Amino acid sequence: MRTLRFLAAFGLVLMLLAPRVAAALSKAELVDLLKAVDERQRNQGDWRDLVYIEQKEKDKVDVAYEALVFRRSQDQKFIILFTKPKSSQGQGYLRIDKNLWFYDPSVGKWERRTERERIGGTNSRRSDFDESRLAEEYEPEDLGEEKLGTYNAQVMKLTGKPNIDLAFPVIKLWVDKQTRNVLKRQEFALSGRLLRTSYYPRWKKAYSESKKTDVWYPEEMRFYDEVEKANSTLILVKSVDMRPLEPNLFTKAWLESKSR
Amino acid sequence: MGFLLDLRIAFRSLFQHSRRTFFLATAVAGVTALLILLNALSTGVSETMIRAATTLSTGHVNVGGFFKVTGSAGGPIVTEYEKVIDAVRKSVPEMDSLVHRGRGWAKIVSDLGSTQAGITGIDIKNEPGFRKVIELSSGRLEDLAEPNTMMVFESQVERLKVKVGDAVTLSAQTTRGAANTVDCRIVAIAKDMGLLSKFGVFVPVETTRSLYQLRSDTTGAIQIYLKPQFIPDVAAIAARLRGQLEKLGWAVMDADPNPFWMKFQSVAREDWTGQKLDVTTWEDEVSFMTWTLTVLRGLTAVLLTILIAIVVTGIMNTMWIAIRERTREIGTLRAIGMQRGGVLRMFLYESLLLGLIGTGTGALAGAGLGGAINAARIHVPLSVQLFLMSDRVQLALHAGGLVRAALFITLVTSLAAVYPSYRAARLKPVSAMSHFG
Repeated sequence: MRTLRFLAAFGLVLMLLAPRVAAALSKAELVDLLKAVDERQRNQGDWRDLVYIEQKEKDKVDVAYEALVFRRSQDQKFIILFTKPKSSQGQGYLRIDKNLWFYDPSVGKWERRTERERIGGTNSRRSDFDESRLAEEYEPEDLGEEKLGTYNAQVMKLTGKPNIDLAFPVIKLWVDKQTRNVLKRQEFALSGRLLRTSYYPRWKKAYSESKKTDVWYPEEMRFYDEVEKANSTLILVKSVDMRPLEPNLFTKAWLESKSR
Repeated sequence: MGFLLDLRIAFRSLFQHSRRTFFLATAVAGVTALLILLNALSTGVSETMIRAATTLSTGHVNVGGFFKVTGSAGGPIVTEYEKVIDAVRKSVPEMDSLVHRGRGWAKIVSDLGSTQAGITGIDIKNEPGFRKVIELSSGRLEDLAEPNTMMVFESQVERLKVKVGDAVTLSAQTTRGAANTVDCRIVAIAKDMGLLSKFGVFVPVETTRSLYQLRSDTTGAIQIYLKPQFIPDVAAIAARLRGQLEKLGWAVMDADPNPFWMKFQSVAREDWTGQKLDVTTWEDEVSFMTWTLTVLRGLTAVLLTILIAIVVTGIMNTMWIAIRERTREIGTLRAIGMQRGGVLRMFLYESLLLGLIGTGTGALAGAGLGGAINAARIHVPLSVQLFLMSDRVQLALHAGGLVRAALFITLVTSLAAVYPSYRAARLKPVSAMSHFG
């Protein structure tokens, strides 16, 4: 009788574990999934959008920015031009090759910054506004499936590839199995400490002429600081436009001209 | 004998005109006391600045530098620092001691607050000077030898709301830009040491290496302390060391009289990669603060010039009145055989005595008042702290300074009397004796 009960319990455990075991993905499948995540966000052309960034910090007044983001897939060029508030108007970041430059019209100087710079002092990074390059930058590792609200998510641990400089060397990623949109990210420090949890509650698509298909983008991103628990950042992406941009846009002169 | 007689006459004359003597001596004493207090204040600020700077952030001469992994990513790092130390030992015979410290900038986060601060990595076992100067309000400095510990200052405690034993997280980017953190335990809280202590904390040097993912043969800077007699020659010693390091094959940055943290932007703009050393003096590292000293010294000079002009005018006027009142006395003295030189000396001694009495009293009053201010440990608001480099009014009263101030004012008062005395000595006995006034 005891043996029978043990076998029944063992069988139940096997049944519970079965979907997980069945869902385990190979490394190649995970890489393919990451590539799919990147690909559906990539428009293979020019990109322009308007972003609203709100930063909440403990014991500080909330800060809100409005900025224009310009990107070019071909050579990975990138610009953020702040338009609001007035005190930040004309400030901007320009990525040329692998260098990120910051321009402040009040001093009229260009400063070379690291690519992992916090944008406008908020908890957002350049990579949050740029094209997704997860498959190029990280090695995935399967962490199984997980239910995230009503979504079935594939969870994976991403570890930065050697010789690529990344703000977050380790990421835990939740990808919607059905749509392949990112639902949640947890970013870790080299020490293993959780630094930031990001949520992507709203995804939208827009037709790209250059790609000849729809491009998906997160319309809303919420970043929660896990070191200073009370701090958070909200990013809203609006007015996406994928028509070709003027050829000389990604230059220091263009950014400078916007504050004259 | 003649000298004593002249002195006695001068003293009696001062005594006879006691009211005038009192007012003038009081004015001289007031100016002397003010000179002493203002000098003590600027010397106090200067001494506090040197003391705080050479304890917290700099040696008399420093060998720091930057290591750049890529064109834009790098940090304040000296690689293979032991080789650099060997070169320093050979090149700087004026050296008394040296220490090496890690350098960085990070966010410190506690359960109740956060702050940005300069992170200094320290090997507490080899920092006897640091232990002598730092005053603790709680905790033990020796515990800073344990890994992942931290010493903060009282003003940071207010922002972080922590006490000894509490845990904080240091969050920074490594030289390659990757986010990293280290959890530290507060082991000591030190009393504030002016402006510099507001933005810096101390951790074991191993903690800075762990936070920035650096090898064990790296440090932030080598701080060289000179024997006292060579401290005024820091600029020449730094220039010589810069040349020696270049000769030995290191890439060395051009002399730039600014602290290391002001050089991040210019270094990031340049396209080189690898190691470049930077030789600086303590004055370079605190150059962003020395303007306060210049302003204070300028104000002292302007104020004292005005006050001395008033006193000199007062003394000259008084001497003119005295000569006018005593014209017949001068005539009589000349008639009974006193030479012109005697008359000149008589008035000069009178002024000299007045000066000595006034400055002596002023020096005592200034020293007493200064001592009382120091004893009262008067705390000042933050805006004044930025100016005074200390959280309280700190006057440096040195015997040499008191004597120099007293002698200077005495000399000024004596010189003020030279012309009136000369005119008195030039009076003709006959016309002086027949003078009515």
